[in-house]
Amino acid sequence: MVETSIPPPPVTARPSKPVSEALLNEKWDRCLSSLLIRSSLGLSFGVVFSILLFKRRAWPAFVGLGFGAGRAYEECNGSFLRTNREGIRTQRP
Amino acid sequence: MLRASLRSYLALGQQPSAASAGRQWHGIQQIRRGYADIKKPSLADSKPAVLPGSGSSTSPQPPPPGRPTVVAQSSLKTPTPTTPASKTIPANDVPRTPPPPPSSTIKAAQQTPPPPPPPPKRTGRVRRFLTTLILLTALGFGGGVYYSRINDNFHDFFTEYVPFGEDAVLYFEEKDFRKRFPVVGRLSRPRDTGDQIKIPSQSGVSWRVAEDNKTETGRHANAVKDTPKPKEVAKVQKPKPAESVKPVEAKKEPAPPASPLPKSPNAPSPAKPSHPVTQEAIAPAAVAFTAPDVDQPSRFPPEVTRIDPINIKDANEPLVQDLVKILNDIITVLNADNSNAKFSNTIGKAKSEIAKVGGRIQALKDAAQKDAAAQIISEKEDFDRAAKELIRRLEAEMANQQSAWQEEYQTERQRIKESYEQKLKAEIERAHEVNEQRLRNELLEQALEMKKKFMADIKDRVEEERDSRLGKLTDLSKTVTDLEKLTTDWNSVVDSNLKTQHLHVAVEAVRANLEKSEVPRPFVRELAALKEIASGDAVVNAAIASINPTAYQRGVASSSQLIDRFRRVATEVRKASLLPEDAGVASHASSYLLSKVLFKKQGLATGDDVESILTRTETFLEEGNLDEAAREMNGLKGWAKTLSRDWLGEVRKVLEVQQALDVIATEARLQSLRVE
Repeated sequence: MVETSIPPPPVTARPSKPVSEALLNEKWDRCLSSLLIRSSLGLSFGVVFSILLFKRRAWPAFVGLGFGAGRAYEECNGSFLRTNREGIRTQRP
Repeated sequence: MLRASLRSYLALGQQPSAASAGRQWHGIQQIRRGYADIKKPSLADSKPAVLPGSGSSTSPQPPPPGRPTVVAQSSLKTPTPTTPASKTIPANDVPRTPPPPPSSTIKAAQQTPPPPPPPPKRTGRVRRFLTTLILLTALGFGGGVYYSRINDNFHDFFTEYVPFGEDAVLYFEEKDFRKRFPVVGRLSRPRDTGDQIKIPSQSGVSWRVAEDNKTETGRHANAVKDTPKPKEVAKVQKPKPAESVKPVEAKKEPAPPASPLPKSPNAPSPAKPSHPVTQEAIAPAAVAFTAPDVDQPSRFPPEVTRIDPINIKDANEPLVQDLVKILNDIITVLNADNSNAKFSNTIGKAKSEIAKVGGRIQALKDAAQKDAAAQIISEKEDFDRAAKELIRRLEAEMANQQSAWQEEYQTERQRIKESYEQKLKAEIERAHEVNEQRLRNELLEQALEMKKKFMADIKDRVEEERDSRLGKLTDLSKTVTDLEKLTTDWNSVVDSNLKTQHLHVAVEAVRANLEKSEVPRPFVRELAALKEIASGDAVVNAAIASINPTAYQRGVASSSQLIDRFRRVATEVRKASLLPEDAGVASHASSYLLSKVLFKKQGLATGDDVESILTRTETFLEEGNLDEAAREMNGLKGWAKTLSRDWLGEVRKVLEVQQALDVIATEARLQSLRVE
């Protein structure tokens, strides 16, 4: 047996590369977070507008919420439909 | 053209009347581009402009008559004629000339010559006027003359334009000049006469150096010839060259009778012509004859006798000849000068002296010749003696040399002879030696040959003996070598066996490493050992090269790990199992939800849907059939395939390693089989 002095390679895999089975889950995570953020943003804008302009009516707040949610949905749909890019994160070679 | 237009434009532009100016401006603007010479209609039509002062009839200076109206118009300062009616004014009404300015009166008077004096019958007023005029004229003329002496410019002007001015000025200048330089003025007087200049023939350089001395004293031997008129001098001097040539050519003319003039004691050489003695001696003779005055009756000058040129008998001597020539030249000169009377005595003395000198020279020459002859004879004798001596010495030398050479030759000959004898002796000795050596060599050769023959004999005998008894020994040794060969063969077999065994061991080690490890572990070291053992086996090398480098650098997953991961992947794939082609959020969500309520299959399910494929794969995996499991998973499509891609890669790596190990193991088995 010949002793070769090759150092042991790093066992830990690089965390940046996503595993293939987790692609869809990541997308879902992102979608949900964006939905939350955007809808809350829309809601807050709606509330502000309703207070400032519309005499505390309820509907501007709902409209804002709807705008935010709709935008999040659209983005999410786009990310799922984008077939040429499978994941959300892309690894540069 | 341009100027004319400009003029008219200016004239019009300065009209004071505004209305007419405006009208003319129109006209100018209309014909601005036309030629300026064209008569402008506005000029013809318009009322001529009137200057403020010119219109009145009491003008102090009416315009002079005869001037055309155009000129009057063109000039800026003069007023235009008032109307065309002014042309019809009768001539006698108009004053002839403008009153002259008072300043120019004197000048005009100066320029014009004064009129002739009027007759006295005029009235007193006229007379007074004339006298004043004349006085003024005279004063002005005098002043002009005086001023022209001072100022150059005015001088030029005055002499040019004023009549008699130049003469007057010149006269005064001359006077002034003469007053300042009285002598020069007198001397330079004849300069202006313009007569022909005559140069006296006696002037200039001549051979007679001391001539002017005589002129200063004023005492001459022949005073007649001293001051001849130039023309006469030329006539007298002309025949002289012919006369002077003649005595030179003909030396042997008979000498004329002695000259009546008393001879001077010294020869008149040109080096010292002004010798006082000569002059004093000549003086009474010179006094004897004087030129007759004009009123006296004419007399002949005293007769002139010529000095004969010298003649010497033995004239072939060059020195004497030169002397004679010099004297002859002097004589000819004297003859030419007609003063031979004075010098004939001297010349005669010189002649005799020269003859004496010639005789002395001849005597000297003879003595010198005699001396030379005696010397030559003595020299010749000397030379003869010397030559004899030389010849005698040469002969002695030659005899000596000859004897020396003979001796040398003898010794040389002796030496050469000895050396040749020595050489010959040496040669003979060497030949003897060579001969002896050769003989000895031959002897040695013979001995050697005999020895060889003896050896061969002995060998033959021994061989015969050996064949009979040692033949068996060679057989024995042959069998021994065979045995050795066999053992070595077996050794190689054993070695190769050992090698294959090592190979087996290595392969098994790798395989064990792969199977035993719980987590993926690199097996580079094992593989390297395997390669080392295989030692250049092509099949093993190819098998190792076929393994993905990441596989042995990172290690491959074990089967249990693969199954674990498959379970995880399977749940994800199941979630995406119901997706259509282009799935948005809604379809993903519905697929996620609906996959929860799907029934699960068991065993080897039939069908192409994702659920049955997954079930089959799981079954294969549980059986340990990695290959089939990979095949099944490869049949997935769309998102399901994308999700299971990593797992498939893992499985493939494991499969590659397994295949390579199988190949190596087979190779090792083959090798072990091949040994027999």
